This record gives sequence, C-alpha cells and structure tokens, in this order.
Amino acid sequence: MRPNDRKYAQSHEWVKLDGDVAIFGITDFAVQELSNGNESDLVYCDLPDAGRVLCAGETFGEIESVKAVSDLYAPIGGEVLEINAAIEDHLEILSKDPWGAGWIIKVKPESKKLDGLMDAAEYEAFVASKKH
Amino acid sequence: METWRLVTTWNAPPAFNLGLDEALLESLGAPVTVRLYSWKPGALSLGYFQRRADVPAAADARAVVRRFTGGGAIHHQRELTFSIAADAEHPLYRGPIAESYVRVHAALARALADFGVTAELRGERALASERADTGMCFHKSSPLDLVWNERKGVGSAQRRSKGRVLHHGSIKLGTTPLEGDIATLEHVAPGLEPHGFAPALREAIEAHFGVRLVADVPDALERGRAKELAVRFGSREFLERR
Repeated sequence: MRPNDRKYAQSHEWVKLDGDVAIFGITDFAVQELSNGNESDLVYCDLPDAGRVLCAGETFGEIESVKAVSDLYAPIGGEVLEINAAIEDHLEILSKDPWGAGWIIKVKPESKKLDGLMDAAEYEAFVASKKH
Repeated sequence: METWRLVTTWNAPPAFNLGLDEALLESLGAPVTVRLYSWKPGALSLGYFQRRADVPAAADARAVVRRFTGGGAIHHQRELTFSIAADAEHPLYRGPIAESYVRVHAALARALADFGVTAELRGERALASERADTGMCFHKSSPLDLVWNERKGVGSAQRRSKGRVLHHGSIKLGTTPLEGDIATLEHVAPGLEPHGFAPALREAIEAHFGVRLVADVPDALERGRAKELAVRFGSREFLERR
C-alpha cells in the first residue's frame, strides 16, 4: 500500500502537506515506468528555479530516462520554495526512496485544498487499471 | 482496420524537421501519425540534455541543432529518420516505455528483414560499436536497441508530454565519418537512399500493427505550430541551453 499521508495525480506525481509547505514527488509506479526497474536508467532532470509560480497541472520539470524524456506536472499550484538538489546528480534516489528522500520540490501552496486528487486507495485502483 | 497518417518530408531543413515532429507530438486527438523524413543539410542533433562541449563531433558538423528527445547525438546523414506520434493511451504506447520500444522495434526489424538484415534487440550482448566519450547515440547502447553485425543500427528516443508520445528514430543506411563503424544497410543495399527504404518500412508497419497507412499532410494548425517551433529549434539560445 502506498503512503496515505499524501494525495496523488493521474500523471503519477504526489503532493504532501507539511505545515505551510507542499512537497511534490513522483510515485514508485512512475519511477518503474521510466526506468524499467533499472535505477541507473534515470539520467537527467531539469527542475524549476525557486520563486517560480506554478499553476496546477503546469509542467514544472522534465526527467530523462535512457529511453524517454517525460514532463513533471504540478499536482497543485504554488510558488517554488526549494528544489531537492541531491537528486539532480543522484537520480537513483528516486528509485530507492520515492516517498521520502526522493522528494522533488517544495512549494508554498496557493491553497491547502487538495481537491481532485486521489487518495492512496484510489491511486492503487488507478494504477491497477493501467496494468490491464 | 485502423487508419494511420503517413507524412513524408524529404531533404528538409533541420529546424523544420524538429519543429514538425514537436507539432505532431502536441497534436492531441490526431490519428497516429508516422513520419518518414531526411535532412538537408545532414545536421548533427544533440540530445535534449547534452552539452555541445561533450560531443566532439559537433565541431565538424555542417549544422548542429538540439532535439527535444533525449539520448546521444546523431549525425542525420545516410539515414532514414522516422517518428510516430500518438496519444499515450493508444495501444502502441500504453504501458511501460520498454514495451512500446519492443513493439516499434519489431516493426522496424520486419522492414530490415526485407533487405536480408536480421536485426535483434541487443539484450545483454556487448557491441563492437561502443565508444567512450563521443556523446554519440550510436556509440552507446541499451538492451532495447536494435542491432545487427554486432553493432547498433537504429537510434531511438521518446518524448512523453501532456498525454502524447512521440517515438523518434534513425535507421542507418550508410556510415558517415562522424559516426564511424556502426551497423548500416550499406553491405546489402549500397547507396540506398532514404526514400528507397521507405516502402519497406511502410509495409512493415502496416503488416506488424494491422493498420493502413494513408499518405497525408499535416493540417493547417500543425503546419502553423511547426513553423513557430522551427524558430526555436533554429535559435542559438535553444542550441546553447546547456
């Protein structure tokens, strides 16, 4: 079961509220799809500068695996406060710990409402439907 | 039977080629579009994340551009370039990225077999075309790459964006000095031109996927968007973004 302390987007990002900060990451399913199970297959990522204001659904970064470049989408809107510089040179962190050390950016959310996103059970069902 | 679009553009300028591919990627709801094309001049394209300084061959290329797909640099000469754009939920691309590569490469292998070439996925074998520190796509391989004669012969990359996927690839018909000793069709079809390989690829795609390819041109919206995007791909700013 995936963590219940956050919400999930159909594009496989997660968002977790921590006080006045929202933390974005991508799910284990997204990592598996991108890397085909090989952590060394994730090769580059491009992350936004602090201060950039994101709308919900907007592309906030790009990630390259050996075989594809994919966009990263903001699950909610807000202003970028911090990026996880550690992952830029060590993308394998996303494979090892997508829920914790593999967080991608922290934002100041424009709202703490996480409407329209899935909880863990809904996301489990959504991912299961993708496998058929 | 499903109908896919077939767009051919031979000897087109580098920035136009990239602009049209990205316009087809953005074309939400469009039918699956197979594009077959070649380049004039034969440009070297850097992968989206590459630094020009990490590709020594870029200094010797007549033209250099940056792709929006990842991977290594490709010298687009003596090759048929193709792209296949479709919705991410289309059966062609649905599911793991690796499986979509297997599907596309199976169709390419069928076309290559028409020329007597047995192309296979690399798997875990070592290749004679591997080179360190060139930054070139054909000198680095992954298990999903198509190989023959113990060398890499097809370079492939995908871009996935906003519910769409574009798979982009280069099939080497002959060698160029910037790429050297890689797998090509030179030994079975000397001097083969891109448009000479196109019919085999078209038939292989139709047979493998059970579809009908209908020759078409991009619609007005796609053409307009391609023109806009070509400006970016032709700009120094985009080329030097790394």
